Amino acid sequence: MLPADPLAERRLLLFTGKGGVGKSSVVAALGVAAAERGLRPLIVELGHRASMANLLGGEIGHEPRAVACEGRLAAMSIDQDEALFDYIVAQVRMRRVARAIAGNQSLRGLFRAAPAVREVITLAKIQALVDARDAEGRPRWQPILVDLDATGHALMLLGLPQLLRRLVASGPLVGVGEALAGLIADPARTLLLLVTLAREIPAQETIELFRELRLRHRVDVGALVVNQVPAPPLDDALLPWLDRAEARVGRHGPLAADLALARRLVADHASALRVRERLAREVEGVPQLPLPHLAGGIEGEVELRVLAAAAEAWMSQRSGGRDREGER
Amino acid sequence: MSDLDRLLLGRRLVVCVGPGGVGKTTVAAALALRAAQLGRRTLVLTIDPARRLASALGLAELGDAERLVPVAEHGGRAPLHAAMLESGSAYDALIGRIADDPEHRARILGNRVYQIMSRAFGTSHAYVAMERLHDAAASGAYDLIVLDTPPTRNALDILDAPGRLLAFLDERIVGWLLREAPEGLRARLLARGGAAARRLLALLAGEALVRDLSDFLELFVALRPGFLARAEAVQALLREPTTAFALVTTPLADNLADAAYLRDGLAARGIDVAALVFNRAHVPLGDHPWSWAASERPLADDLAALAPADADETSAFTALLERLDLLRRGVAADNQRGRRAIVAFAAAAVTGCLKVQAPILDREPQELRGLARLAAILADPRATVAAPR
Repeated sequence: MLPADPLAERRLLLFTGKGGVGKSSVVAALGVAAAERGLRPLIVELGHRASMANLLGGEIGHEPRAVACEGRLAAMSIDQDEALFDYIVAQVRMRRVARAIAGNQSLRGLFRAAPAVREVITLAKIQALVDARDAEGRPRWQPILVDLDATGHALMLLGLPQLLRRLVASGPLVGVGEALAGLIADPARTLLLLVTLAREIPAQETIELFRELRLRHRVDVGALVVNQVPAPPLDDALLPWLDRAEARVGRHGPLAADLALARRLVADHASALRVRERLAREVEGVPQLPLPHLAGGIEGEVELRVLAAAAEAWMSQRSGGRDREGER
Repeated sequence: MSDLDRLLLGRRLVVCVGPGGVGKTTVAAALALRAAQLGRRTLVLTIDPARRLASALGLAELGDAERLVPVAEHGGRAPLHAAMLESGSAYDALIGRIADDPEHRARILGNRVYQIMSRAFGTSHAYVAMERLHDAAASGAYDLIVLDTPPTRNALDILDAPGRLLAFLDERIVGWLLREAPEGLRARLLARGGAAARRLLALLAGEALVRDLSDFLELFVALRPGFLARAEAVQALLREPTTAFALVTTPLADNLADAAYLRDGLAARGIDVAALVFNRAHVPLGDHPWSWAASERPLADDLAALAPADADETSAFTALLERLDLLRRGVAADNQRGRRAIVAFAAAAVTGCLKVQAPILDREPQELRGLARLAAILADPRATVAAPR
């Protein structure tokens, strides 16, 4: 269930959605919203995605680094080799031995190809970020926004603890698996957000994903972020006049092309409304956070702030317009 | 004949790569349909588990088996086949091909490490896709194969996965983990270092997993030469001059950033992009699909064309026309931005790289007719991205 203030009340926000739905923009925009509010957000990507670096306007490294909002928004990408080293250190507890293991080419090859290793170390790294504290003992990051891969990969990661249970009956991985299962399933710490578009194909995939999650995974699905929601192209009062104009103008010529364009935009908008209604029915009990379609796309911090403001307005309306000034 | 047609006639393999959600699977299918229209026996092989490709191709379902697409009434002059890779079953089929002995095969299929590796993980998915490609290419049944790949980063996996799998079957590691008594001096030496490595691995991953892994490797090591030969053949195939990589993207900034990453990743692996396809590049503003600029004209002319009967109609039509003007300008500005991004991206392409752009269609192609329309658009000489004047 979506808490009144997810950015402040949940440590770990996981985002998933089909490729092309603008997931990176949504993650970045909510990161900006959290930074604007004086929280300590960290955006985490899995592997390198050029689009996130492009959005935030800076290179993203393998350690948290301030990237936007005058240094208040940090981001990092999880590098497999670095994360593997961290994991080995945590298990062996001797840096020298760990370095020898991580530096061995054959072992590296083994770890890269072996099943589940990438996924285990990724989740273990996320867990370490969740547990990190600053000098005053406060959580170092609040919230951590993780840009999971497209839906298939996300399911794989979410299902990993169960998989580990099947694969290993004893040994240190059991403990790791249990800890990760605990983190993902813990509704007090973790929230999954599904990102989609108000279009048929992405919506269909989201509905299927939601069913799969209900069936097989214990994770709290907090909100359905519907990205790029189109504004109505015409006032309702003008619609009958579009019909009439079409009847009076032939099928060719510049005016006919303009009328066809308007008709197409009207149809797109109506279709988006139908898709949102269907999502409300089939992704039952999960509130929809609509984000507007911005002409020209999302190029950087300016557009991200517009989306962040829309998300903030929605969240504050949901929680009854609570005053957030005191949180700074 | 357009440059795209020449490419489809001249190559034997077209690999479509690109960010997620740019319509890559649809473009791959449209290219394959075009090739069939040009008389080439074609196979479109998709890795993306996109069920809608089946309906776009006019098939009830699409699975691991190659199926004939009914293209005759859409101008197909040669047969078009389609297949969708399902990692698990494709892997099982692969084991069936490489492991001759039924008992050996059964033990592999029953191994837990194998089951998880073949069903759950991305890298092995890319690997098995390459295997499947190898078989289709070697069959001689096709003049052209169009391969659709998973999004961005994973598309580089298709180049790296065979190497990774071979590393996994690295003789040293296999030596460490095999429990059978080593034979020969070299094996015994390897085994000595191996005991320590094995203990470390058990510490990290647990004894049970190491045991399962040992079983798995024991079963797999006999197949290593077979894997190696096929992996090398596939890598060679991807670098043949008759192979073309087509990079599909939209002009949106985040897609272009991912596309550039992919282009550079391919270049680092010695592969140049042979064709850039800018899909959903613009919304058509006139009579033909490439009209992206708005026509400027006095509102009075349009109002006259609507022939308002009275003052009420005049004021309503005027309001409508003002609104239309705004919508058209908005779309034209979007198109112009996209156009600039496309020209800039295209300028960075290698010499000889083909560049085409297709508009946003009113609907995603959901049946063969829609696919045929996209194919015609892509193959039209006007689709070529011209250098800025």
